[in-house]
Amino acid sequence: MTLSTFIFKNALRNKRRALLSVSSVAASLFLLVTLQVALRELTLPVESAGAELRVCARNKVSLTNPLPARQRSIIEKIPGVEGVTPFTWFGGQFQNEGAMTFAQFAMDAKETRHVFTDLKLTAAEQAAYESEKASAIIGKISADKYHFKVGDRFTLDSTIYPGSLEFKIAGIFTGTADDRMMMFHQEYLDESIGTPGLVGMWWIKVKTADDMPIVIKTINDAFANTAAEVRAESERNFQLGFISMLGNIKTLIASISTVVVFTLVLVTASTMSMAVRERFRELAILKALGFRRRELFVFILAESFGLAVAGAIIGIGTAYCVYTFGNISQMTHGIFVSFEVTPHIMGLAALVAALLGIVSAIAPSLAVARMSVVNGLKTLD
Amino acid sequence: MALPLKYNFRNVVVRWRATLATILGIAMVVAVYVLVQALAVGLEKSASNTGDPRNVMIVRKGSTAESSSQVSLAQLQTVRYWPQIAHDEKGAPLISADVITLISQPRIDGRGEANVSVRGLTPIGIQLRPQVKLVAGRWITPGKREVAISQKIARRFTNFHVGDSFRTAGNTLTVVGEFDGGNSAFDSEIWMDADEARSLFDRQNYSSLLVRVTSPQAAQEIITRIEGDKRLPLRAEAEVKYYGDQTATAMPIRILGNFLATAMSIGAIFAAMNTMYASVGARTREIGTLRVLGFRRRSVLGGFIIEGALLAAIGGVLGCLLALPLHGYSTGTMSFNSFSETVFEFRITPWLAAKGMIFSVVVGIIGSLLPALRASRLPVIAALKSV
Repeated sequence: MTLSTFIFKNALRNKRRALLSVSSVAASLFLLVTLQVALRELTLPVESAGAELRVCARNKVSLTNPLPARQRSIIEKIPGVEGVTPFTWFGGQFQNEGAMTFAQFAMDAKETRHVFTDLKLTAAEQAAYESEKASAIIGKISADKYHFKVGDRFTLDSTIYPGSLEFKIAGIFTGTADDRMMMFHQEYLDESIGTPGLVGMWWIKVKTADDMPIVIKTINDAFANTAAEVRAESERNFQLGFISMLGNIKTLIASISTVVVFTLVLVTASTMSMAVRERFRELAILKALGFRRRELFVFILAESFGLAVAGAIIGIGTAYCVYTFGNISQMTHGIFVSFEVTPHIMGLAALVAALLGIVSAIAPSLAVARMSVVNGLKTLD
Repeated sequence: MALPLKYNFRNVVVRWRATLATILGIAMVVAVYVLVQALAVGLEKSASNTGDPRNVMIVRKGSTAESSSQVSLAQLQTVRYWPQIAHDEKGAPLISADVITLISQPRIDGRGEANVSVRGLTPIGIQLRPQVKLVAGRWITPGKREVAISQKIARRFTNFHVGDSFRTAGNTLTVVGEFDGGNSAFDSEIWMDADEARSLFDRQNYSSLLVRVTSPQAAQEIITRIEGDKRLPLRAEAEVKYYGDQTATAMPIRILGNFLATAMSIGAIFAAMNTMYASVGARTREIGTLRVLGFRRRSVLGGFIIEGALLAAIGGVLGCLLALPLHGYSTGTMSFNSFSETVFEFRITPWLAAKGMIFSVVVGIIGSLLPALRASRLPVIAALKSV
């Protein structure tokens, strides 16, 4: 019998306990991974292609205050600006669903693809969208959810503007950071029920990354001390601002993660002590046979480490599979679109498991180290 | 004959070293469960706690948030002289046309900005909301660019205390008062004069109307009258009901709480099972003795389940005690409905604590079921012989 089989057999001598320990570690690590992914999704701005060249300009008072449409020609003339589109929140509700299910924005149909370069739409769909004022394009996630096809018509009741609008789907796009959105013509909104002359905010594409700071400053200065002062910022900063609005939710999730880890250590350490207490006599025999404390420590450590790692593989593996292959937006009622288990988070969870294996071995090892061989041999329990 | 409870209790106490970790583990699970649910309760309370039963709120039909609602001056003039509206001693109708807008302001911890709701109202508007009490400074004087701010919001943003001033929409506003909204939705608001707000934020229309009615029948009359009048694209509702319906904001927190409770309780059940199995294993002989003394299988089964439940209940009590210090602690997040900072408190209600206890006992019972079954099935002779 080699040393490793000895450790292995020891770990599995009480199969039920081994299974229970591994399962409790697995359940806790699954939870830890979930919380960390949720935290990351909430606090990390979505990285979308072309974001480094996009500027967002909103009303300085707040996001919900509109901007005058006449600002557009001034922004377009700023050197370094390549494209500008309005971006107006419509707040439409679909078929009395009661809650907003996908966001809709009124934009400039021609400029959209110049500003949102990551948006993928076939040339035919783009042409169809541009040619018909009452048409709209919608992200694939929403299209799949509602079984929308190109050519379908549907009505949305606005919660912002008085009335509702009928749209015809001209295309289904992919590739953006949030493929749930719907985009339609600003002119259609203005002519039907909107407030002509007012838009929600501006999205601007700059030529090069070097132009960005100058463009931002020029826009901010251009409208300073006017009736509608503007706050222009990079797409990244804009999203960070959104995250800041979430407030204490971050702290909440972070503290729950800490509690989970602490509980995990507590429970696993107690299981290991149980396992060791049960075989005090055996360990005493090993000691009597001439095994050193150091070696006994290695036995215990290897066993607890093994259990923790087994739990980690199951827990992290389950989390990875569920969140990678499962339909996350359906599971969370649309709160999360992506729920990416990153290598970083898996590494973190694995590290917690490894430390857990080591920490839980400490207390039992100390007990064994302190025990005298004679007393150990006398133990019955 | 059932095993005496004292036996179970003493067992838990005697084996404290082995059971302590499990008790603490369950305590943590219960504490997390109670705290997250306390957040949801706090958020729901702040919605259901808002409003006066004598008031009726009028908003634009189809709007989901007060901030996106619009009521025109003409509509205000139409409604103002309806006979169902009560009057004050000077004979003025008790109606307040409010403007809600959001302003983005820096947080006190320096971590970015957040939207805060600004309510433009009239002195009558303040009078119509008796649950809001001034706690520092004085109420606003119209025309002087003054604001009064909820104490809870003032603590979370820079320059929001009495005597401070801040800039928005190209103007400087001075804080002259701080109020306490009595754990209502008004705890998340800044109040200023309605017409000042309209000119400052360039609004033609008001957002909502709040009226005091003469009687409950009058309230119903207003609601049906607005419902039936096609020329008025408005919706009237009892103020209490309007805010009460906003509890949906707490849904994501409820979902988070339930998910956490499920995942953590699975871990806790495994831990409890481990402890109880070890306990049964260590007491094999004792169980044999009990059986020889004449205790039946089901007494042993029941005894061990009670022991598991007892163990978990101690954890449950401990968990509730751990959560208790956070009761009343105020926190805030963005409401996806109003798109602005909403402050609310952790509220641990007796019912919530009871739910936490039930939860812990269920974990204990499920966790001890299999070990107890094993204990009851031990063959008597073999059990007596075991060392």
